[in-house]
Amino acid sequence: MAAPPERRWGEAVLNLYIVVFFVYLFAPLLVMSLAAFNDFQYPSVTQWRGWTLRWFGELARDVRLQQGLINSLLIAMGVIAISLPCGLAGALILTRLESRWNGLLYGILVSPILTPGIILGISTLILWRNLGVPGGLFLACVAQSSFIASYCMLLFMARLQRQDRTLEDAALDLGASNLMVFRRITLPFLTPTIATAAVIGFLQSIENYNTTVFAIGGQWTLVTEIGSRFRFGLTPVINVIGVIFVVITIVCAVIWTVLRQRERQMTIR
Amino acid sequence: MRGQNVELVDVAMRFGAFTAVHPTDLVVEAGEFFSILGPSGCGKTTILRMVSGFLEPSQGEIRIGGTPMRGIPPNRRPTALIFQNLALFPLMPVWENVAFGLEARGVDKPTRRARAEELLRLVALEGQGHKRPSELSGGQRQRVAIARALAVEPAVLLLDEPLSALDLKLRQHMRTELRAIQRRVGITFIYITHDQGEALTMSDRIAVMSQGRVEQVDTPDRLYAAPATAFVATFVGENNLVRGRITRAENGLALADTPLGPLRAANPHGLAAGAEAMLFVRPERLQLGPANGIDNRLAGTIARRALEGPYLHLAVATAAGTELLVHATNRGGLDAWQVGAPVEVGFAAEEAMALPTGPLAADA
Amino acid sequence: MRSLVATYGRGLTALFCGLALIWLLGLIVLPQLFMLERSLWWQEQPAEAFALTKRIDDLYNEVSLLEFDRRAAEGEEVAQLEARIAAKRAEIAELEAVEVAPVRVYGLANYVKMSGLHFWIFVKTIFYAMLVTLLALVVCYPIAFAAAQLASPANAALLLLGLVVPYAINELLRVYAWLMILDYQGVINSFLAWLGLVDFEKRTWVPFLEYPGAVFVAMVYAYVLFMVFPMYNTMETLDRNQLEAARDLGASTWRTHWRVVIPHARPGIAVGCIMTFMLSAGSFAVPQIISRGTGGDWFSQLIYRQFFESFNWNVGAAYAFTLLLACIVFIFLVMRLAGVGIRDIAK
Repeated sequence: MAAPPERRWGEAVLNLYIVVFFVYLFAPLLVMSLAAFNDFQYPSVTQWRGWTLRWFGELARDVRLQQGLINSLLIAMGVIAISLPCGLAGALILTRLESRWNGLLYGILVSPILTPGIILGISTLILWRNLGVPGGLFLACVAQSSFIASYCMLLFMARLQRQDRTLEDAALDLGASNLMVFRRITLPFLTPTIATAAVIGFLQSIENYNTTVFAIGGQWTLVTEIGSRFRFGLTPVINVIGVIFVVITIVCAVIWTVLRQRERQMTIR
Repeated sequence: MRGQNVELVDVAMRFGAFTAVHPTDLVVEAGEFFSILGPSGCGKTTILRMVSGFLEPSQGEIRIGGTPMRGIPPNRRPTALIFQNLALFPLMPVWENVAFGLEARGVDKPTRRARAEELLRLVALEGQGHKRPSELSGGQRQRVAIARALAVEPAVLLLDEPLSALDLKLRQHMRTELRAIQRRVGITFIYITHDQGEALTMSDRIAVMSQGRVEQVDTPDRLYAAPATAFVATFVGENNLVRGRITRAENGLALADTPLGPLRAANPHGLAAGAEAMLFVRPERLQLGPANGIDNRLAGTIARRALEGPYLHLAVATAAGTELLVHATNRGGLDAWQVGAPVEVGFAAEEAMALPTGPLAADA
Repeated sequence: MRSLVATYGRGLTALFCGLALIWLLGLIVLPQLFMLERSLWWQEQPAEAFALTKRIDDLYNEVSLLEFDRRAAEGEEVAQLEARIAAKRAEIAELEAVEVAPVRVYGLANYVKMSGLHFWIFVKTIFYAMLVTLLALVVCYPIAFAAAQLASPANAALLLLGLVVPYAINELLRVYAWLMILDYQGVINSFLAWLGLVDFEKRTWVPFLEYPGAVFVAMVYAYVLFMVFPMYNTMETLDRNQLEAARDLGASTWRTHWRVVIPHARPGIAVGCIMTFMLSAGSFAVPQIISRGTGGDWFSQLIYRQFFESFNWNVGAAYAFTLLLACIVFIFLVMRLAGVGIRDIAK
C-alpha cells in the first residue's frame, strides 16, 4: 500500500503548509501574550524590560474597563433576550410556511448576517434618533440583535428540520393543549439548540465592535473601550485582557474535548 | 371504557385538484375491530386523519357516538391515534409517555404514576416505566404506544399501520396480542393497513379501498369468498383471471366465451349476455387430473413447480398462452406433477365468479 | 401557517408572528428604510433666511456690547442704556419669531456630490476587499480540504480547534497583535535589525504598516474562520470514494480538485467569499488599528468620520447605503457565478 512518490510529495507539501498556517495563526497570539508580562509602559516584546505582573494589577484598578465589561454583559443579556425568541419565531414560521413568500422572507431574515456591521449600527442609530432615542446600551443591544437573531434562526431551523412532527400530533391527539405541546414537546426538543444559540449569541455580542461603535453613543463596552484606547494611549493592560481571553478559551476547549471524549467512551460502553 | 360507533356521511377530501377521498359513507359499529385495507395512496390514511381531527373533510360529516365532529380539534375528540412510527416521546421515560394524556387532563402526579403502572401491566410491561423508549425493543415500544393511547380512555382507537416496522415473527405475534387487547378493553378499533394478512386475521369487518373509493365493506370470510369487484378479487388473496364475454346468463350462472374456450361461472352481479366480464377462480379451487361432473375443464402443461411442504404450487400453461396458478394440498402422490408434464385442470361453476371488468390490484 | 395554528394554536402562533414581525420591521426593514431616506435629503437655508440669521447674530452682539457699557455707566446714562437694550431685545424677539428653519431638500446630491477622493477610496476599498477575499480563499482552501478529507477525525477536530482558538480573542486584539509584529520597531523589524539589515537609530526600518499589504495580512488573519468553516462544511459531505475514484481513473491532483472537489464545495466557497468580502469591505477595526487610528483610507472610516466628526449624517447615510449596495451586488454576483441560491447560505 505504498503511495506513489508524487502523492507522498504532495502530502509533505500540504503538511508543511498546515504548519506554516498555524504559525501564522498563533504567532500573533504569542507576541501579544508575551507583551502582557513585559515591564515596559508600551506594549512591546522587542524592548524587553523584564517580567512583571503589574499590568494585571493595573487591569484590576481600571474602572473604565470594568464598567465596559459590565456594560458588555448587560448588552449580551439583552441581546439573548431579544434574539432567541425572535430567531425561534422566524425559524418556526419558515419551516412551516408553505408559500411562495417563504424565499423572500428567508432572504430578508438572513440579510443582517450578510450586511456589514457598521451599516446595521448606522441604520439602527438613524431610526431610533428619529424616535428620539439617542445612542447607548439599549441601542447597541437592538442593533446587535438584528443580526444575532439571524444566527439563532439558522441554528433553530437546522434543528427543526430534523424534528419529527408526529410527536406534536401525538401530543395533541392525547389531549394536550397547544401550550402544553409547545412546553412539553417542542421546547425540550429545542433545548440543546437554545443553549447553543445563547452561547453563540453571547459570544457574538461580547465580541462585536463594528455595529456597537455606532450605536453605543456616549456609553462604552469592553470592546469599544479597547478600540478607543488605540487612539488615546495603549498600555499592556490591553494585552492582559487578551491573555485572559486566550486562557479562558483554552480551558473551555480542553474541558469540551475531555467531555466529548468521555461521552464517546460512554457510548462505546 | 366504552366503544362508540363512527359514522362517515358523504365524506370527501380534496387537496386542490387532487381528490384523496371520494364521497364516502361508512359506519363502524361500536366495539368493532374494523380494518381499512388498501395499497399506499388509496386514501385510507386520509380517512384516519379526518376521524382523528388532523384534517377537516372538504365535505360531509363525521360523527362519533352520534356527535358531529366538525370543528373539534384532535385534542378534544374521543379518539386516540397510534402512529405508524409510534411517535413515542423520546425525551420522556416510558411512564410519562403513558401518562401524558392524563397530564394533559390535569391529573395529579401520584395518580398518573399509578395509572401508568396499571396500563403497563395490561400490556405486560410492568416495572419498565423508568426506561427511555429507546431502551426498549420494537415490540415493547409498540405496547407502550398502545398503553399511552389507552390511558386517555378513548372511545375509538385509531391505528395507522403500527406493525409495519416490525419483523415478520413479531408482527404475527402482535396481531394476536392486539386482537386480545381489543377484546379486553372493548373499545372500537379502526386499523389501517396495506397488509391483507393483518386485516384478515384481526378484523371483525374490513373496508377495502382503492384510489380514494371504498370498494367493499365486509367480513373477512365474505371478502375472500365473494369479492365485489375485480380490484378486491385480485387484492385480497390470489386469483386466476380469465377475460371473456358473457354469452348466456341464467339462474345466477353465466357462460362466458374466453380464450380458453367457453367457461361457466357464478354471476353475482347478474351480468347480461354480451357484457365484457372477468372470470376469477382461486388457485386452491382448481382440481388437478381428470374428474367427473366438473363444469369447466382445461388442458395444459406444467410450466413451473414449487413444493412448499404441505402445499404444491403449480403454474399451468394453457394452449391459449395464459397461465393458471394451482395450489394443491399435499396428500401424497404428487410426484407425477413435474415440469413439462401434461395436465388436466378443472373447476366447478360455483368456484369461479364472473365480475364486471375493472381495475386490478396490479394497476393501483 | 395553517399547520402552525394546528399545532400551537392561535395564541402562540400570533405571538410567533408578532415577534418575527417586530424583528423583520423594527430591526431590519425600517432601519434600512430610514437610512435610505436620510441619505436622500440635505438641509438648505434660503438666501433671505441667511441674511436674517446674520442680522439676529449682529443684534446679540450689540446687546452684549451695550450691557458691557451699562455696567461701567453711571447716573441717567444707565436708564438710557437699559432702554436701548430693551429695544434691541424686542427686535431680536420679533426677528426670531419670523426666522425660518432650514428646509429639507430631497435629491441624490449626497450620492452624486461624493468627492473624487472619496470615490477613489470607495473603489479602492472594494478592490482591496476583493483581493482580501481572493487571498483568503487561496490560503484557506488547502486547510479546509485537509481538515475535511485528509485528516483522521481526531486530527481534524484538533485542526478545527486550532482554528477557533485565535477567535477567542476579540477582533481588535487579533489585529493589534499584528500591529505589534509589523510596527516600525516591531518584531520583524527588530529581527531585521538583529541581522543588521536595518538600523533604528537611522530610522531605516521597513515601514510595513504603510503598505496596503499590512491591512491584507491582518484582514485575512481576522477573517480566516469565516472562509474555512463554510468550505469545510461542504467538503466534509464529499464522499472520499469519489476522490479515490477520480485518482483511480488517472486524474491529476489539480484535475481532481477542479472537477470533483470544487464543484462539490461550490456553495461553501460562495458563502465563504461572501462573508469574507462583506466583513472586509465593511471592516472598521482593522484599518483603524493598523493605521493607529490616525488617517486610514478605508471607506468604513470615511463613513465613521461623516457621522462622528463632520456630523453630516445625511452624507454618512448615503455612503453607508453605497457600501450596502456594493455588498448586495457582490453577493448576487457570487451567487450567480457559483450557481447557488439564497437557501444555500446557511451554516
